[in-house]
Amino acid sequence: MSDPVLSATDAGLTGCTQCGRVWPMGTARCGRCGSHLHPVDTRCLQRVWAWWWAGLAFYIPANLFPMLRTSTLFGSQENTIAGGAVELAQHGSWGVAIIILSASILIPISKFVAIAYLAFAVRTPPQAAGKRHLLLYDIVEFIGRWSMIDVFVVAILSSLVQLGFVASIHPGPAAAAFALSVAFTMLSAQSFDPRLIWRGPQSTSAT
Amino acid sequence: MTDTPDIAEMRKTPAPNPIWSRVSVIWIVPLIALAITLGVAWNSYSGRGTLIHIDFADATGINPGETVLKFREVTVGTVEDVGFTPDLTSVRVGVRVNKDVAPYVDKDARFWLVRPEVSAQGISRLDTVLSGTFIEGWWDAKPDGTQTEFKGLERPPVAPDPGKGTVVMLSADDASGLAEGAPILYRGLTVGRLQNLRLNETGTGVVIDAFINKPYDARMSGVTRFWNTSGISFSLGPNGVNLSMRSLATIVQGGVEFDTFSSGGGAVENGQIFRLFADENTARASIFGSDLVDPPHYTLLFDAAVNGLNKGSKVQFRGVEAGEVSDLSIRVQTDSTGEKFAQQQVVIALSPERLGLSRDADAATVTGFLEQQVEQGLRARIAGTGLFGTTLVVELTDVTDTPKAVMGLNTTPYPSIPTAAAAQNDVAASARDVFGRINALPIEDLMQSAIRTLDSISAIADSQETREVPRNLSAMLDEMKTLVAALNAGDAGQKAVTAIDGLSTAATGFMAEIQGLDQTLDAAGKAANAVAAMPLEEIGRNIDGTISQIRAMLGAQDAERLPKALATTLEEAAALLGELRVGGAADKLNDTLVAAQGAANGIAGASDRLPDITARLDQLIVDAQGMVNSYGDRSDFNTQLVGTLRELQRATQSISSVARMIERNPRAFILGR
Repeated sequence: MSDPVLSATDAGLTGCTQCGRVWPMGTARCGRCGSHLHPVDTRCLQRVWAWWWAGLAFYIPANLFPMLRTSTLFGSQENTIAGGAVELAQHGSWGVAIIILSASILIPISKFVAIAYLAFAVRTPPQAAGKRHLLLYDIVEFIGRWSMIDVFVVAILSSLVQLGFVASIHPGPAAAAFALSVAFTMLSAQSFDPRLIWRGPQSTSAT
Repeated sequence: MTDTPDIAEMRKTPAPNPIWSRVSVIWIVPLIALAITLGVAWNSYSGRGTLIHIDFADATGINPGETVLKFREVTVGTVEDVGFTPDLTSVRVGVRVNKDVAPYVDKDARFWLVRPEVSAQGISRLDTVLSGTFIEGWWDAKPDGTQTEFKGLERPPVAPDPGKGTVVMLSADDASGLAEGAPILYRGLTVGRLQNLRLNETGTGVVIDAFINKPYDARMSGVTRFWNTSGISFSLGPNGVNLSMRSLATIVQGGVEFDTFSSGGGAVENGQIFRLFADENTARASIFGSDLVDPPHYTLLFDAAVNGLNKGSKVQFRGVEAGEVSDLSIRVQTDSTGEKFAQQQVVIALSPERLGLSRDADAATVTGFLEQQVEQGLRARIAGTGLFGTTLVVELTDVTDTPKAVMGLNTTPYPSIPTAAAAQNDVAASARDVFGRINALPIEDLMQSAIRTLDSISAIADSQETREVPRNLSAMLDEMKTLVAALNAGDAGQKAVTAIDGLSTAATGFMAEIQGLDQTLDAAGKAANAVAAMPLEEIGRNIDGTISQIRAMLGAQDAERLPKALATTLEEAAALLGELRVGGAADKLNDTLVAAQGAANGIAGASDRLPDITARLDQLIVDAQGMVNSYGDRSDFNTQLVGTLRELQRATQSISSVARMIERNPRAFILGR
């Protein structure tokens, strides 16, 4: 065992997930913030995976169905996320194209990969990479909400560009799917108990 | 220290942990999500409709993913791809048709491109300028096996939905003035459109689809007549100038009008064929019913020229109008000796009804009927009608004394009816001839010359010398009277009788010679014919020239002096008579008569030389006979002479009156009073 880390569970304590105060193992409620205390449990990984799969399930139609319906005098157009980004790039708006591409494709996909990696990583005993995992988790937590940028763009465009028959923009079915997908991945990330990074998989058998 | 035995450590076996307690409820969420996603996927896959391919000549304004397919102005599909047919001659457009209408897109379906269109009737589909071209389709409500390959129409059909009216077919000789989409008028209202102008199967005419909207299609019946109202019609008649034009569209695009002039005729069905007449009058007057689109045609071959026969000339069947000439041409034939000759080929159309057959008798029935008639002597010939027979018609009539003939059933383009020589109207021909010659006469020049001649004559008549002529004449007659008295005194009568005997002998010889004159007369007759054949124009010119010369002569100084010379001559004659009377002329005359008798005998002997001098003798005989008669009947001589002189006087008066009349009214010279 190299560089053993003393985790709260090993010390017979349970940390409050809300305010961070530790209580003796078995305490039901946090005496400070009153939130429910629960021991570290790999069962939360089930919730992670469940949301993860739900997010993935919606992510596929979100990319296949049109995101945006643009109807102008000269016809209507439907764009999927990737198609819209490619079209923007063709028009020379490389910056916007890159933003959309990273916000709608790069970030969600890396989020999926990161969450799955974390969920797998906590099942293996060595906790050496704990710090990196925690950093990864923080990044996922922080960046996850930015994926909604595309949904916001659609929502704002739809409400602003309503000029009747001259030009109007409507959200496509992919917008809802994408929003759901982002929400589910956020829930998935939130379901992940970061204490597991340190605690390791043996917790279940110990209790 | 109490040693307590080690309590055997309780073997703790984990409580039975059923799978449902280990599995979180949260798994329902991804299951639902999966279900929703799969449901959407399935829905969009199963509902994406049928892909059909439509071939268009060009794909102006078609964009994959944007251009839509509309049915009754409702979008029922979207263009997915635009490609080419394998031979690259047209564009193949792939259209995804909604699943619910796909079963109806069967072989009846028609597709066309809707674009903005500017035509004589206005601008249509302006909306497509903004919305873009779209494909419109029409199909009926009967699913009849989905088809996926279609040929797009070149232009939008005039009436996509045949349920909104009736389509009839118009058959015309040509489509002059008509264009696709031209209006159909009924009492001036636009009630339909023309479409699909095309040649008929044999290429001898044009077939046009006419779509008549509801409820106007009920105005049609089996006897309705259609006529062309294209452009402007202009006619000049007893009521003055008549200029008739319909709407602007009919001028630009042409148009067709229809009306029902007579009752009867059943209801009109889709696809019924009507004849399209050239104009309203033709439509009203035509003996061919409008349902008789293709009347039986026959070929007539004439050897003689048919100048004056026109397309549309009447065909009479035993005096009843039964058809018309539909075509005229020349056909070069080769006879048995291999020589080529041309015949006039006249194609006629006959109305079975007018031949006494039933209305709907077909060509074979009519041919059978005509064959029977030809057997009995029916022939076709050209005949003239009208005032001078100038209007030619084709007559189908019984001609006697013709060799037997049969119909040529194998003649192209139509069976032929044997022909007979034209029934030439003699009066008409000569009248035509006379009129032709009169037309050719230089009457104007003649008139001018005549007027000038008469002017000269009247100038002469008015002259002082002319007026002196009668006085001199009467003086001369006095002299002659005296001379005659002297003659009576001498035994002139007896001598004259002897002379007459001699002359009659000469005349007898002469008569014998006259028998030989027949040949001469024949020759003269031929000469006369030649003269008759001489172009009158030239003669007219000669006459003109002669008259000009006469006029020149009369106008000359010598002519002016003529009456004076005449008077002088008469004076001299009177002087001569005086001398005769004084110098015993009577006795000398007796001697002269004796000599004449001898001469007559000589003439009788020399009668074989007579032909040379026939003409002169003839004149001589006439003169001599006149003289002899005067001498023979003494009491008559004076009377005759006085009568002659009176005649002369009257003639002079007549000449002067004629001269005055012509002076007043020169035309009388030619036309009489």
